[in-house]
Amino acid sequence: MNGDPAESRARLYLWWSRLAAMTAKELIQFGRDTLLLIAIAYLFIFDIYMAGSVSMQLNHAVVVVHDADHSAASRELVYRFRPPYFKLGGEVLDNREGQRLLDQGQALVVLDIPPDFEHDIRKGKPVDVQVQVDASNTVLGFLAASYSAQIIGQYGFDQALSRLGVTERSIQNVPMIQSQHRVWYNPNQRDAWFMPIAELLTVITIMAIMLPAAAAVREKERGTIEQLLVSPLTPIQILLPKVIAMTLVILLGTAVSLFFVLYGMFDVPMKGSLVLFFAVTTLYTFTTAGLGLYIATLSRNLAQAALLAILVLMPMIFLSGAWTPPEAMPAGMRTAMFLSPLYYFIEMGYGILLKGAGLDVLWDSLQGLALLGMVIFGFGVWRFKRQFG
Amino acid sequence: MGQAAMVGKDAPVVRVQDFVKRYRKQMAVDGASLSIDRGEIYGLIGPDGAGKSSLMKAIAGVLSFDGGTLHIFGEKIDSEAAAERVKGRLGFMPQGLGLNLYPELSVEENIDFFAELRDVPPAELAQRKHKLLAMTRLDNFRDRPMKQLSGGMKQKLGLVCTLIHEPELIILDEPTTGVDPVSRRDFWMILTQLLRERGVTALVSTAYMDEAARFHRLSLMFDGRVLIEGEPDTILREVPGALVELVAEPQVEALLRLKTRFPQAEAVGPKLRVFVPGATPQLARAQVEAQLEGLMVSEMQAVAPELEDAFIALLQQRQPAGQDDARQTQVWLDGDPPKGDGIAIAARELSRDFDHFRAVDRVSFEVRQGEIFGLLGANGAGKTTAIKMLTGILPPTGGAGTVAGADMRRAGLAIKGRIGYVSQAFSLYQDMTVQENLRLFARIYGVPGSRLAERIGRVVALAGLSGVTAQLVSKLPMGIRQRLALACALVHGPRVLFLDEPTSGVDPIGRRRFWEILVHLARIEQVAILITTHYMSEAEHCDHLALMHAGRIIADDTPAALKAALQQEAGQVLDIGAEPVLPALEALEQAGFSDAALFGERIHLLARDITAAEARIRTLFAERGIQLRDIAPRTPTLEDVFVHRILQQEQQEASA
Repeated sequence: MNGDPAESRARLYLWWSRLAAMTAKELIQFGRDTLLLIAIAYLFIFDIYMAGSVSMQLNHAVVVVHDADHSAASRELVYRFRPPYFKLGGEVLDNREGQRLLDQGQALVVLDIPPDFEHDIRKGKPVDVQVQVDASNTVLGFLAASYSAQIIGQYGFDQALSRLGVTERSIQNVPMIQSQHRVWYNPNQRDAWFMPIAELLTVITIMAIMLPAAAAVREKERGTIEQLLVSPLTPIQILLPKVIAMTLVILLGTAVSLFFVLYGMFDVPMKGSLVLFFAVTTLYTFTTAGLGLYIATLSRNLAQAALLAILVLMPMIFLSGAWTPPEAMPAGMRTAMFLSPLYYFIEMGYGILLKGAGLDVLWDSLQGLALLGMVIFGFGVWRFKRQFG
Repeated sequence: MGQAAMVGKDAPVVRVQDFVKRYRKQMAVDGASLSIDRGEIYGLIGPDGAGKSSLMKAIAGVLSFDGGTLHIFGEKIDSEAAAERVKGRLGFMPQGLGLNLYPELSVEENIDFFAELRDVPPAELAQRKHKLLAMTRLDNFRDRPMKQLSGGMKQKLGLVCTLIHEPELIILDEPTTGVDPVSRRDFWMILTQLLRERGVTALVSTAYMDEAARFHRLSLMFDGRVLIEGEPDTILREVPGALVELVAEPQVEALLRLKTRFPQAEAVGPKLRVFVPGATPQLARAQVEAQLEGLMVSEMQAVAPELEDAFIALLQQRQPAGQDDARQTQVWLDGDPPKGDGIAIAARELSRDFDHFRAVDRVSFEVRQGEIFGLLGANGAGKTTAIKMLTGILPPTGGAGTVAGADMRRAGLAIKGRIGYVSQAFSLYQDMTVQENLRLFARIYGVPGSRLAERIGRVVALAGLSGVTAQLVSKLPMGIRQRLALACALVHGPRVLFLDEPTSGVDPIGRRRFWEILVHLARIEQVAILITTHYMSEAEHCDHLALMHAGRIIADDTPAALKAALQQEAGQVLDIGAEPVLPALEALEQAGFSDAALFGERIHLLARDITAAEARIRTLFAERGIQLRDIAPRTPTLEDVFVHRILQQEQQEASA
């Protein structure tokens, strides 16, 4: 391909002009697909909003009490189970009733106070209080159990101090260790910061695989690919516009989600560079699209593509740390996480948005993403070229 | 006509009155009425979207309707329950190749499944299965999965499955669409044989006008209405007019002149065909002669119009086709088209293997600039593979070829840029407008931005799309879509055009418009056109035909020469009207006329010596007490050529 420069310039111009025409085509088609538009609006706006609205914390968990003592002391303990974490769900007359409420899921915690509770405290005798927790949801069960333990422990501590005659003033003389912890990056520990970011990055992943796969499979399904194959387009000129167009769509969706939902509704701080965030997102969607192209080569219709996409997405999300932190994974799976591009993306997403991290900190993750991404994209392109070349 | 032998005098099997079916606001059938007698083959003819399928589905009891009455076997169908009551007595085969069958099941498993569904007792099933499989020549393929059958075989299996419970009424929705002529002829043979033996009634729809002769009676449907109903002959009588065929020089000029006065004028290969409505043959000739004064006219003769002419005449009475100046528009990119002596497509010993299967076997042919070349053959004969190699999609296993001056083995991409291609299935973007599609393909083919508007304007004018440029393609009827596909293929001004079954499912008027454009492109702009089709009436348009079978070209000549050769070799077709017709057919078969076939109420057979054959038939019929109403030789059609050549080939292969 030497020839004179004018000719090669013309060839280059034609190459780009074809790419632009195909990209414009993809965007027009995308804009005409009402169902797809609604789905995307839903995922980038309402889904993120819902993810930010739900919480992984105890929220008005119902506590029922079996108080066999009915004393001032027992009442005081009971009233320490307060909103926002707990809510009193009334009293039961015997233990079996409490068990029934747990079974039916009408109560999360059953607090059982023995007779002579106050009497024994006064006497300085050790007292047992029974707490039964529904741990079918392990997270909530764990939280309920540990909060209850804290409340009861604090109550016992207070009782002990008052029995020792320690007053407000003399408390400084009691040897005590206070844990003074500082919570960084999300000082109020708001789920509304953590959850929607994880959800947004997951949605980006789903779209980055599904949209190019759908765009490519649709051409196969409707037979339009045939017309493209007899045209002077190379396979790259057929697949690249799909990736470009869908990346643009995803970036737009991300921007809407970021500015209107994350920032607008949940006050996520966005500490780092937005340019960096969008650059990383672009790299991520572009390379992950390789998986979508691969799926498109395997499937004959949209339903197959969607099913395959789920098959790819599930482990990818599971191994990313979006739902389960790496610290909670067994060793083997923790290693496998390095194979999920979403893992790097989540690292960088949190890093940029919440920690304000720059490239200096995220360099390793970026390298990991770029390397993995290039392999994935290259594979997708190779498969596509082999099928349609 | 005396149908007493076949058609009972009792109440009609199906009676439809003022039938109305709507899909939301879309009117599918708008007041259709017809009645079908016992033992009849009743035809529904019309283009896609005419309402045939809706009507058939309602009769089969699988679709509710919005107005009118429907009686089947005398039972009024006004509820699900009523439809259920008659369902056991009818069989329905929906449209689409093997769509009612299960691709993973074998031939036998499919049949067993349908038999079980219909509660056929095992003993009877075995007997019927044996007979039907033998009749359809599927008995050697019992264990083959349905998905591995050819299109024609799938349709035959579909028919067997529809017939396994011995229904009294069978409803077949376009059973022959997309099926090659040989399989089509087989299909008809089986159907008529079953009708003879069991006296079942059949309602059959088709998009092929030339199948009309197979029906006892038929309805021409268009746009949800029945345009006309009756026996084929009656319909022809009810649309008075004469058809004039002639050869004129220069053809283009002659056609333009004729068009100004007769909308139904068309060029068919070297001939011109003009339908003169309402005229006697003499008057028609005189009118045509007057119109062509000063031109070289030869071989002028008035012939009997065909059903398709009548159909188009009827349609044009209803909605006169808008005359646009399409034929004045040139699509050529720059200056004069090259003179018509260059070779545009050349295939030399082209072969292609798929694993152990040779799809195309040493195929050679040439197409010159300005020539329309037809590639005919059954599904799976290798046509599409040959086209794919020539268009640079598929590398050949062996052989060579040049297309538009480029070597297909080395310059695939260059070829792709120089040709236009219209594919079998409509493959443009339906969610985009006409204009957007044209723009896209213009830019893909590298039409420079400065010339985009001009190029698009030209092809829009040529294809007569000016009124619809802003419309979404999904909203357009098939005929217009195919013209758009043609326009997209022409937008960069290619000198070579490939068309793979471009007119399947397009109505007759749409097909004619399409061919007018093709003829214009070839004659005036010297574009070389390679086309495949299953419509034999379209094959007549070609300057040159190649017939493919099992990957090889088995005949290659002009349509006229092909027909002449058949006449030389196998003789002429005798068209016989006899009474009663079924015993007549049996008598002929017993007397050794093995290729005698039933066409509606008539019998066709091939005879080398017509006079001798006629004498034999007369004595034969006299002996058997059969009345011979008329007997006349008919020139063979291209379908006859096609079927004969392929059967001949199959016999050779079998004996080898």
